[in-house]
Amino acid sequence: MEKKLEVKDLRISFRTDAGKVQAVRDISFDLYKNETLAIVGESGSGKSVTNKAIIGISAVNAIIESGEIIYDGMDLLKISEDDFHKLRGDKIAMIFQDPLSALDPICRIGKQLTEAMILKNRAARRDARRTFNRMTKRLLKAMDAAMGVEKGSDQAKANQKRIDDFDRFSSKHLSMEKVYNAAQQAAVVVVEEIDDLLFHIEKKAVSEFSKKVRHIVRHAKDSVHEHVVDAGIVALADEFKATAKEARSKKDYSLVVDVLNRMLVLAKEGVERVSPNYFALGYYLTFAGQPLPEMEIGELNAFLRAYLDEHYMLSFIEDEKKALQWSYERSLEAKRVVIDALAEARPLFAEGEADKQAFRAAAKALSEKVADSIDPLKLVKDSAAYTFKTSLRSAIDTYFDAIPNNAREQRRFDKETKRYDRIIARGKTPDYKVTPAKIVDLELARDNIVHILDNLSARYQKDLENRDSYDVAVEAVALIDFLKEKAQAVAYRVTPLVAKNKAIKLMEEVGIPEPERRYRQYPFQFSGGMRQRIVIAIALAANPDILICDEPTTALDVTIQAQILELINKLKRERNLSIIFITHDLGVVANMADRIAVMYAGKIVEMGTAEDIFYRPAHPYTWALLSSMPDLDTNEKLEAIPGTPPNMIYPPKGDAFAARNKYAMKIDFELQPPMFQISETHCAATWLLHPDAPKVDLPRPVAERIERMHRINSENARLKAEAEGDDHE
Amino acid sequence: MSNQPETNKEPLLRVEHLSQYFRLGPTTLKAVNNVSFDIMPGEVFGLVGESGCGKTTTGRSIIKLYNCTDGNVYFKGRRICAGTLSYKNAKKEAYKALWADVKKACSKKKTEGEKVDLKASIANWHRICHEQNVQIRKAKHDQKRCDKDYAKENIALVKADYKARLKAVEGGFKNKEYKKVLWEYVKAYFFARKERYVTKIQMIFQDPIASLDPRMTVREIIAEGLTIRGIRNKKLVDELVYEVLEKVGLVREHANRYPHEFSGGQRQRIGVARAIIMRPDMIIADEPISALDVSIQAQVINLLNDLRHELGLTIMFIAHDLSVVKYFSDRIGVMYYGNMVELATSEELFKHPFHPYTRSLLSAIPLPDPIYEKQRERIVYNPLADHDYSVDKPTLREVCPGHFVSCNEAEFQKLQEILAAEAK
Repeated sequence: MEKKLEVKDLRISFRTDAGKVQAVRDISFDLYKNETLAIVGESGSGKSVTNKAIIGISAVNAIIESGEIIYDGMDLLKISEDDFHKLRGDKIAMIFQDPLSALDPICRIGKQLTEAMILKNRAARRDARRTFNRMTKRLLKAMDAAMGVEKGSDQAKANQKRIDDFDRFSSKHLSMEKVYNAAQQAAVVVVEEIDDLLFHIEKKAVSEFSKKVRHIVRHAKDSVHEHVVDAGIVALADEFKATAKEARSKKDYSLVVDVLNRMLVLAKEGVERVSPNYFALGYYLTFAGQPLPEMEIGELNAFLRAYLDEHYMLSFIEDEKKALQWSYERSLEAKRVVIDALAEARPLFAEGEADKQAFRAAAKALSEKVADSIDPLKLVKDSAAYTFKTSLRSAIDTYFDAIPNNAREQRRFDKETKRYDRIIARGKTPDYKVTPAKIVDLELARDNIVHILDNLSARYQKDLENRDSYDVAVEAVALIDFLKEKAQAVAYRVTPLVAKNKAIKLMEEVGIPEPERRYRQYPFQFSGGMRQRIVIAIALAANPDILICDEPTTALDVTIQAQILELINKLKRERNLSIIFITHDLGVVANMADRIAVMYAGKIVEMGTAEDIFYRPAHPYTWALLSSMPDLDTNEKLEAIPGTPPNMIYPPKGDAFAARNKYAMKIDFELQPPMFQISETHCAATWLLHPDAPKVDLPRPVAERIERMHRINSENARLKAEAEGDDHE
Repeated sequence: MSNQPETNKEPLLRVEHLSQYFRLGPTTLKAVNNVSFDIMPGEVFGLVGESGCGKTTTGRSIIKLYNCTDGNVYFKGRRICAGTLSYKNAKKEAYKALWADVKKACSKKKTEGEKVDLKASIANWHRICHEQNVQIRKAKHDQKRCDKDYAKENIALVKADYKARLKAVEGGFKNKEYKKVLWEYVKAYFFARKERYVTKIQMIFQDPIASLDPRMTVREIIAEGLTIRGIRNKKLVDELVYEVLEKVGLVREHANRYPHEFSGGQRQRIGVARAIIMRPDMIIADEPISALDVSIQAQVINLLNDLRHELGLTIMFIAHDLSVVKYFSDRIGVMYYGNMVELATSEELFKHPFHPYTRSLLSAIPLPDPIYEKQRERIVYNPLADHDYSVDKPTLREVCPGHFVSCNEAEFQKLQEILAAEAK
């Protein structure tokens, strides 16, 4: 699976008057493509802080002490605000917890929805054009090199022309396609509206009749297109308008049923028709120089496709494959060189006297080699290679900065301890505590440097071994799709009108009734649930890659919560989103999450798939969470978690949950438990999993519930199997 | 109408045809529309429904944060809320009937055999108007002055009691005993005058942050009700405050702090303390746990449960989390768009949800069970598709003992058939 986001050893603190609050302490997790990762924990456990760091909106007093957040070959903790501005909202979007504070109170809803679309559109188009140009340039270079042509030769010119041709026709079809899509969309709307109106007429509950009539007529007229709905629908629409007038005056709505049914048939036909292949059509119109032959749509598509393949695509793909193969081979060669260089440089970093200048020079040389080894035509970026330069540099800096810092810190600590002891010796109790010396382990810092080298070396070794798994054909198609997508993005212009239509459609999608009227209202005119839907719509407007949901349903009631969760699930499927879902309610997570991380006091205490967490929970905190929520069969007194979360200015020495944990052992108060791996996907940080620990059974309510769930599920499965068996018979 | 299975007890709270409309420009919003239910002493009555269905408005109307539009609310047999809309409508109807008669009398083509007695119809109209006016006057009086009536009665009781005691004291004014009793009398009179009937119902609000004044200490917040009642004795107030603080699981030291120094769960506890210091008979808990973390929710529910048994409270529990309501309530009412659609004991409601809206609500409950969750299909409630109310309008009917469903005659028959089939 493709990794979308990697969080490594993240550590965040807040400077406050009372002291340094350690909100997040050494968190690591990965987010894969098309996956939902749920982060569960109480308020103050650091869930929101982590995700605010991912989206780059940490509070002013936040200190990011260490760690990496890697997205698309970039470390999000190190890139500049300008770079972040391009990602935020566009690639990584967030649905905030409190809908009231996330919306601008003096700005109409419509403006807030469309603002980002219009603003981001120009930047996105520029960006797409730049990426397109860069990619085609690289492709051309690789093609030339692969064929071994000289600069200025005929072949080189031919290659250049081919790439230019691609640029010319790949965006040519878009304007045609846009018109077609608009008509198709209108036809879909007509079908929906007519169905709805017929239903209401049947149930004798028609309201806002004239508005609906206007709507249908307008969309019916919009839906007329060569490849969608015949022009006959216009006459029908006029007839419908006339009948509707009569029906309204007579208050007998059944008059319009007949004409509506005829319209419905026409519109449905239009919706079901096959669309022409606009990409091939674009090529034909640009280069064939002949009028389009008269054919059935299916035949036409086949003809256009064949024409495109014959004249352009097949030879282009052939050459593209060569280029890709060449580029891949070259990068493998370079990787071999890098592995050797890394092996050579390793002793310098690992052993002997540390010299800042020598380290820096070596790092620079290595970075250049690594940069050279990156395959420029590869679409999925290799994070280890891309972040090699910055992470190596910062690791070296950490090491050399630590040498004077450690000494200073030690001096401060000695001085304060002395003073503290003096007060104690006088028989008084001091009103402060000596902050322990913040000393960076030099050994560890040096190990970190070496680890970066080793990591990259291992990765490259693996690449070299897996060279057979590289499939040029697949890569070639992926590259063409990528270029097509970029060309589309270049041509996709968002005017205010387009933005408005899109916004209204989004509002409908998230379940806001009467979107046209709501579009012009202010946030205070919405109820809590509606506001939350608006926030979700805003987040979705930009078509993000990663969606972070910070307790999106906490303020909503069950039905709407279910609707919103279904909506998020649907969007995830349709757009291949990766979702980070933050919540304190385990019940909500069960149908959403693929994997769940349970957080407590700034640490992940348990992590696993949804089945692992719900059927085989291992950490006492997870047990406590599960047993403190009632379900439909709970009758006894609830087992609330006693006390409150610890004060993170002075985090507890041992396991943070020990004080509230009735299964706590002596060691829990003294030593932090490491992550124990239970299965491949499941791990938990509790001493109870240590081989020497006493065996502890699950708390009774949890065990009973799990048993009950198993029983119900097996029963359901049996019933289902029986039902299927009956069907077969 | 009584929604209660046959018991000898008198209901603590009886809500009859309560309606609450809001005027929104040219249209009226029917937030609560003809809702009736009883709450028995000592029970927990849950009210569920989606946001905007009027459950909070019902609660607020009962404690008279709004002037209700129509219907009556009786608390311990005394009417505390009364709306006037139905009386006004009756007057309008009578006027219309009168006009119809007048038109008939004046029209030229008279049908033979029909002679309109205008005098009689005018007299009838007068009579109806007079009756309704009396009703309206009574309703307005009860809505505004039910507390003062209660105070008056209280004062009368105190007067009678102490006058008898004073008479019993020998020696008249010169006796020290007499002065003591007199002083007690003055004090009792003072308290009786300040006694309010509606303080016997208290409310816990949804948002623990917004419902506490940030500029008042916890002591002031909790004691505010007492101060308004006229208890100025600082020692007594402090004692009472400490007592309730300890009851809700906080400590005395918390009394001097400000609300922002507390966590969400503790703030909600302060809200509970403020409610119970008035020694209410009934508490309306308006989504007291929806703004809290799951682990804290359990603490607050346990607290309410303990208090309920300890103080013998009756609780009206408004919430949208059905599993919590199921756990906590004895009976549950389901509301949809201002109407009560189903009312039953919690066991019964979850076992036999008859109304399609209840079914859709139940199908939306998330459970901590991934395999089940992935198969769960939510039922969508579409009132137009599920019912045919074009001719026969629905009313709340008792389908089986103690189980009320909003349905019309046809649906009622169908439900009866289902029940009969099940009984077999």
